[in-house]
Amino acid sequence: MKPMQSMFRSSARDKGVPSLNMASMPDLIFTVLFFFMIVTHMRSDEVKVRLQVPQGTEVQKLANRPSVVNVYVGQLDGQWQVQVNGDVVSPEDITARIEQIRKRMAPENAEHLTISFRADRKAPMRVINQVKRTLQRSYALRINYSATEIKK
Amino acid sequence: MFRKRNHRQIPELNTTSTADISFMLLIFFLVTSSMDTDKGLMRQMAPPPLEHEQPMDVQKDLVMRVAIDADNQLLCDDEVVTPQQLTERVVALASVNREDHVIAVEADPASTYETYFLMQDAIVGAYHTLRSQYTLKHYGRDYTRCTIDERSAANDYYPQRISESLAEEGGRP
Repeated sequence: MKPMQSMFRSSARDKGVPSLNMASMPDLIFTVLFFFMIVTHMRSDEVKVRLQVPQGTEVQKLANRPSVVNVYVGQLDGQWQVQVNGDVVSPEDITARIEQIRKRMAPENAEHLTISFRADRKAPMRVINQVKRTLQRSYALRINYSATEIKK
Repeated sequence: MFRKRNHRQIPELNTTSTADISFMLLIFFLVTSSMDTDKGLMRQMAPPPLEHEQPMDVQKDLVMRVAIDADNQLLCDDEVVTPQQLTERVVALASVNREDHVIAVEADPASTYETYFLMQDAIVGAYHTLRSQYTLKHYGRDYTRCTIDERSAANDYYPQRISESLAEEGGRP
């Protein structure tokens, strides 16, 4: 009891309020940081076209990120445009673009190439069908129609 | 005060700012990364038709024609239906002729993607209902809770038979 009392007395004399031990604070924040680094992924490409995906009830999670190619259909300056991964491309160039991406992929990923298809709700089927025909011709047949989930 | 500290040999490092630095890192990662998981309707397209390939003949009464007209109305065998009714009709058709039925899908070039998506969602929902019935009966649990083998068994039992025509703008069938 004696050493405690003496310690208390000396610290009380030095400062009025005892200081809080902050030594574990960086560790805590680092833990949160690592958590975020693991569960999130970097935004891969900037979406240049304006779009809002539809809502559906039967949606599934899209797995295996390395084999996914993003295709966006949306409005840009009042016109319907198609964007493949990072750049806006004209509909005729989609096939060439997919080929280029496929070549850069690892063979096992190219085999399971999946198109993450994000199109605006109001996009006319004329544009959608044109894009789908080109995708079909370039043998990119697995399509994931991106949507937000709603409960039944 | 100095004399009191003298008997401590190693001076303490000031680590007060470590928290600030890691906070900045944390905020940087929060801003640059996204947590949204991609969700969507998974579909498999048919390979491009070959030049000399003849269209397959199917019995008329096994085919259900689902179409979307220019006014975004859902038509099932020339009748206007809601997505819920379409689901019921697909369930009815696919449960009777499991392996022979065909759902022919067509969308007018002027219709919107949302209607098309709702139609796809309704059809996939119908197959999901049927497959869930199958897995509930055989494995005692819902389709979403089954293993991959059980799911593929259900998928084989109730195959999705959807034929889609991507009509050119000129009106080619």
